[in-house]
Amino acid sequence: MAALPRRIIKETQRLMQEPVPGISAVPDDSNARYFHVIVTGPEDSPFEGGLFKLELFLPEDYPMSAPKVRFITKIYHPNIDRLGRICLDILKDKWSPALQIRTVLLSIQALLSAPNPDDPLANDVAELWKVNESEAIRNAKEWTRRYAMDN
Amino acid sequence: MEQFEQLLTCAICLDRYRNPKLLPCQHSFCMEPCLEGLVDYVRRQVKCPECRAEHRIPYQGVQGFPTNVTLQRFLELHIEITGELPDPTSGQVMERCNVCSEKAYCSFCSHCDKKICEECKGAHMEILRREISRINNQIRRGIHRLQDTLSLVEKNTQSIQSNCSSVSEEVEEIYRRLSKALKDRTEYLRGEIDRYLGTELRSLTNLKENLEQEISNILSNCDLADKHMNENVDIWDDCELMDAKEIFLKTVEFIRNFEYENTDYSRKIRLVLAHDPNQLVLHVAGYGDLNIANQHFSQGSGMLQPPGPGLMRSKSDHRLASQFRQQEERGYERGYGGDQDEALLGGRKFGERPKTERYGDRYRGTDYGEDYDNDSRPARSRYSRFRRHGQDNDSDGEQPGRGVRFEPQKVEREKVLDTEDVARGPLSGITRLADSPRVMKKLQENESGKKKEKEAPPPPAPQPKVVPKRPPPPTNRQVSEEDEIAKIKKQNKGATTSTETETRPERTEERHSAQRKTPAPEAISSPEESDESLTSLQQTQRKTAASKTGARRASDAGHKKSTRSASSDSNTSTESTASSNAIRTTGAPFTTEEVKQKYLSRGSVDATPRTPTKEPTKPFQSRFLHNKTTTPPSATKDDDETETSSEEETESEEESDEDTKKPDTKEMAKTDIGPLLARSAHARDGSAENARKSSRDETSTYTRPRYGVPKEESPPRSRYARRTSGAQDEEPPRYGYTSRFLNKSKSSAAIPPEEDDHKYSSTLGDDSDSKYGSGRSRYMALKERRQRLARSRSSQQFGDEEDVDEPISPTSCNPSAYLASRGYGSAASSGHDLARSRSSHALKSRDNSPDRSNATEKDGAALSSWARYLKNKYGNRNSGKDKESSSSVTPSSSSTTARRLSLGLPLRSSTELGSSDDDQKNMQGSPTTPPTAATAAAGIAVAVAGTSPRSQYLQKCQQLFEIGSRGSEAGCFTWPRGVAVGPDNSIVVADSSNHRVQVFDSNGRFLKEFGQYGNGEGEFDCLAGVAVNRIGQFIIADRYNHRIQVFDPSGRFLRAFGSQGTADGRFNYPWGITTDALGFIYVCDKENHRVQVFQSDGTFVGKFGSMGSKEGQLEHPHYIAVSNTNRVVVSDSNNHRIQIFDVNGKVLSSFGSEGSDDGQFKFPRGVAVDDQGYICVADSGNNRIQIFHPDGTFLRSFGCWGIGKGEFKGLEGVAMTPNGHILVCDRENHRIQVF
Repeated sequence: MAALPRRIIKETQRLMQEPVPGISAVPDDSNARYFHVIVTGPEDSPFEGGLFKLELFLPEDYPMSAPKVRFITKIYHPNIDRLGRICLDILKDKWSPALQIRTVLLSIQALLSAPNPDDPLANDVAELWKVNESEAIRNAKEWTRRYAMDN
Repeated sequence: MEQFEQLLTCAICLDRYRNPKLLPCQHSFCMEPCLEGLVDYVRRQVKCPECRAEHRIPYQGVQGFPTNVTLQRFLELHIEITGELPDPTSGQVMERCNVCSEKAYCSFCSHCDKKICEECKGAHMEILRREISRINNQIRRGIHRLQDTLSLVEKNTQSIQSNCSSVSEEVEEIYRRLSKALKDRTEYLRGEIDRYLGTELRSLTNLKENLEQEISNILSNCDLADKHMNENVDIWDDCELMDAKEIFLKTVEFIRNFEYENTDYSRKIRLVLAHDPNQLVLHVAGYGDLNIANQHFSQGSGMLQPPGPGLMRSKSDHRLASQFRQQEERGYERGYGGDQDEALLGGRKFGERPKTERYGDRYRGTDYGEDYDNDSRPARSRYSRFRRHGQDNDSDGEQPGRGVRFEPQKVEREKVLDTEDVARGPLSGITRLADSPRVMKKLQENESGKKKEKEAPPPPAPQPKVVPKRPPPPTNRQVSEEDEIAKIKKQNKGATTSTETETRPERTEERHSAQRKTPAPEAISSPEESDESLTSLQQTQRKTAASKTGARRASDAGHKKSTRSASSDSNTSTESTASSNAIRTTGAPFTTEEVKQKYLSRGSVDATPRTPTKEPTKPFQSRFLHNKTTTPPSATKDDDETETSSEEETESEEESDEDTKKPDTKEMAKTDIGPLLARSAHARDGSAENARKSSRDETSTYTRPRYGVPKEESPPRSRYARRTSGAQDEEPPRYGYTSRFLNKSKSSAAIPPEEDDHKYSSTLGDDSDSKYGSGRSRYMALKERRQRLARSRSSQQFGDEEDVDEPISPTSCNPSAYLASRGYGSAASSGHDLARSRSSHALKSRDNSPDRSNATEKDGAALSSWARYLKNKYGNRNSGKDKESSSSVTPSSSSTTARRLSLGLPLRSSTELGSSDDDQKNMQGSPTTPPTAATAAAGIAVAVAGTSPRSQYLQKCQQLFEIGSRGSEAGCFTWPRGVAVGPDNSIVVADSSNHRVQVFDSNGRFLKEFGQYGNGEGEFDCLAGVAVNRIGQFIIADRYNHRIQVFDPSGRFLRAFGSQGTADGRFNYPWGITTDALGFIYVCDKENHRVQVFQSDGTFVGKFGSMGSKEGQLEHPHYIAVSNTNRVVVSDSNNHRIQIFDVNGKVLSSFGSEGSDDGQFKFPRGVAVDDQGYICVADSGNNRIQIFHPDGTFLRSFGCWGIGKGEFKGLEGVAMTPNGHILVCDRENHRIQVF
């Protein structure tokens, strides 16, 4: 097993020392490249009050390639599918080595605040979000309450 | 400041910029690995992580981007401000890590000898740390080996010291003896010479003076004649002239005849040497040699061996263990061989970087896996002085088998932990890490905590165990979070102190036992008891039967005293062992599992040195404790004496006996000897007791269920009962004698009258022992005895008579006459009655003999032995009893006669019978003396017999004959060892180095031989002990085959049992062997330091003894003998003593110590017991035979070193024939001597 790159160590240390508000990322005991992440639903969003679990994995060539992130908690979001996969550009082609775990997670949190139904991953959700936003938001709130609140 | 730092941080690596390159978009990144990682090789462009601007890569690659000089200046400035150390990797070029293949600033890793990145290196170091701690654990587990060895070495030191001191004492003793002998002789010779010179001179001077006188007289005569005779002066008348002429004629005559007898005075004194002086000087010059026993295997010198294999290798630790063991051992061997340069760390100092040049070819395998698959365990190195040579060859030879990584060139690796001034383990060459300056520094750094600790914690490697006793170096090393050294040191201290405490109590214990030995329980009790018995006897004389209880109480008290002392004794010993055990358990703290593992693995080796000393003590002691409640033999004897007094008394005593005995036998059953033996012993005890009692007590004893001898028949008993109620006069001893005599003569009816004489004279004989030979009145003794017996009788038949008889003056008559007149007078009055009862008694005794179950032939022997034993006992008692009386009575005219009797010489007045009965043997030849013979003569005849056991041995010193010489033909020997006597008085010899058994008749004529060299059936390898059981089977201790073989009387192989080992029924050089009346086989298992007991078919019955010098322990027991009273006599050779056990292995007594005085031994070997309990010991170191009373007191010794008759060179087995001959195996003279 190759040793952990200094950057990952540094990032982890910083995540521990200066956690981002609303975000916690803890490396797994057995694998320092695997993080258990909890993101709180942003205020004034249908996901407010929910605690969303994610998993984050730093690939071998991180930071040259983007970390792999997935929602574990079910979430009603146009850019997140039923498997928890996230449609976010910086996790794909817009990845830059200058981004970090914290920035990625902040981006995800921002994505919760600002769903983008025009670039959907969950098409039914995106459809509803475009057609009947209020119902979609209600659904999202419902899901949040159902899946993200009672732990 | 934080922002400032952020500006100096590369966005990609999040580290301080290293060689920042400025992209056209004005963003800067480290050149590598950051910018390099961004390169899109396909499109030859790089995308700025910050702004996502894409830039073409210059021709030279990312290096072509301009360096951000400003940023670099800022970096320098920052370093200046913060005082941060410059980046250690600055100026280095990145390489691919050889382990993870990442590009990184690689450095050399000692662990795998590769250049690897920091991360991998850290991981490797972690691995090393873990390995070290694991190995350290193993060391912890294994260190007790060294500690054990240490204690063993200490023990060995002690034993070698004691050995050497004893040997030097021996030498000193011999020196003293020799010089004393030399001095004495020299003084004597000088004195003789002086005396001779004086007398001769005196007579010569006398002669000279006389001659001078003569000459002057004659000359004056001549002158006178010349002057006055020539002249015709008639001053002379005829008469005068006649006279003068006569005088002159006489003078002429005298001168003519005078002849000086020259020879008279020229007798030359000459020093005649008994031995050739050269030879003598040679003998003296080489009077002894030090024989250093070679320590082959584990036997031999008795030194303790260190326990077996050391570090166990568990599977998981396989590689580490073997790897480190190899290292260790290499260091060990080399270090020991004096080749210290190439010690443990290959000459490097601790912590120094190894030279790296060669690392490439140092490795063939790159993987651990390969390494340890190739590892093979090298031979264990053993610390042995005798193995020093060829060590280099050894290690060379081992190399191919070694792991790849330990190829020879590896040794060149410099070891950082090694320094010149560091204390090295003298055996292993392992250094004491704590003394390495580097380690000290590290520890100090660690403690100060200023610097981040990068170095692996100082490996607490093997060395502390090697130098556990070194005082801690004076540097201040304090406990830090991982200060293992301190811990180790603490433990070291603990370990050393624990070993010390471990050994100390043992020593004290030994001292205890040594002290204990001197005042052995019997030694304490016996004088008391004899006193008691004396007083009791006095009382007996004074008081009537009714008042006997007092005496009994007295003797009881003595008895109790002895038990008490014995039990308290054993208490202390248990305590001490217990405490030592407890201390032992507080040794190094190992987990139970580990300990278990260790012990299991070492089991076999360990068992020999350790367990025997520890474990068997407990059961033994408990047994000891319990069994001490039985009366020791001497005590019983004393009891018996008082017992005779009255019927009621005996009964009550028996009851008490019963009480003590019942739990005892139960106890026996519990001991490891096994219930079988216990039962049989009980039976034997019972029958023995029975027989003894029957001879002296009332019939009531017979009916007691406890004496349930199966063969006992009622008719004889009833007859006996009738008889005993009638008259009891003189019965017990006579009974004893009768039976013996009956058996010998094979005629029961004819002898009775004579027997009484025998009886009496047996007392006489003992009285007149040289010790008391001062002419004390035998009559008095007899009288007292009679009186006492008469009083004790319930029916006072003879009492009145005797009282009347008492006033007869003893001075006028000799004892036989007195007997005739008095004793026999009274006997005759009830003669018929006596005769009848006697014969019935004889029958009775036959029936009740302990060996009754067997053929009558055997019975005879057993009976006679019993009789002798009894007689012997009586004799002893009488001598004791008669002490007081002897002082008051004036020696009479009979004393000379008595002395003659005591010396076994016939009285002139009674030659007809006496001369024929001169000797015990002769007497047996003509046992049936006609009953009509004169009583006086009969008395004398018996007097001779009566003196037999003691005086016979006292007379011993003249060799009767000898058998054999060196050789391998029939009748020759090569190192004969064991000797035994067959039931037909044949002499059976274990001809050890001819690997055969030879049988001779009682006169030494060769009869047969059997056996040859080999390990098959009926073959021997240096057999040692030999025994013959009652049915004539030969039982042979086949020493080097570690087994016992049994042959039928014709020498045909019957069976063999045993093999080498320490388990029950296995042997380690079995040596002496014997068998008892019931056919049990007792084997001296010499190297196992124990005695094993088997049934005659080879079934293991029990064992006793363990290595040691305490009571009941044995060290190289050589020979063994069993008396007919079931006393097992063992020559505890290396403890220089004889120990006597009962059949259950309980120590009854022991006697002897190292030395050459009477009663002392040097490596006693052969032992034999005659049928009266006299013990004959072959005192091999002193080359003499010693004979002891049954109670272990010295009787006499004879023999010395030499090749002549009655001289010995290396004694082995001895045997005693029923007719009192002593057979001695004179090993180095290759012969059997018979005395």
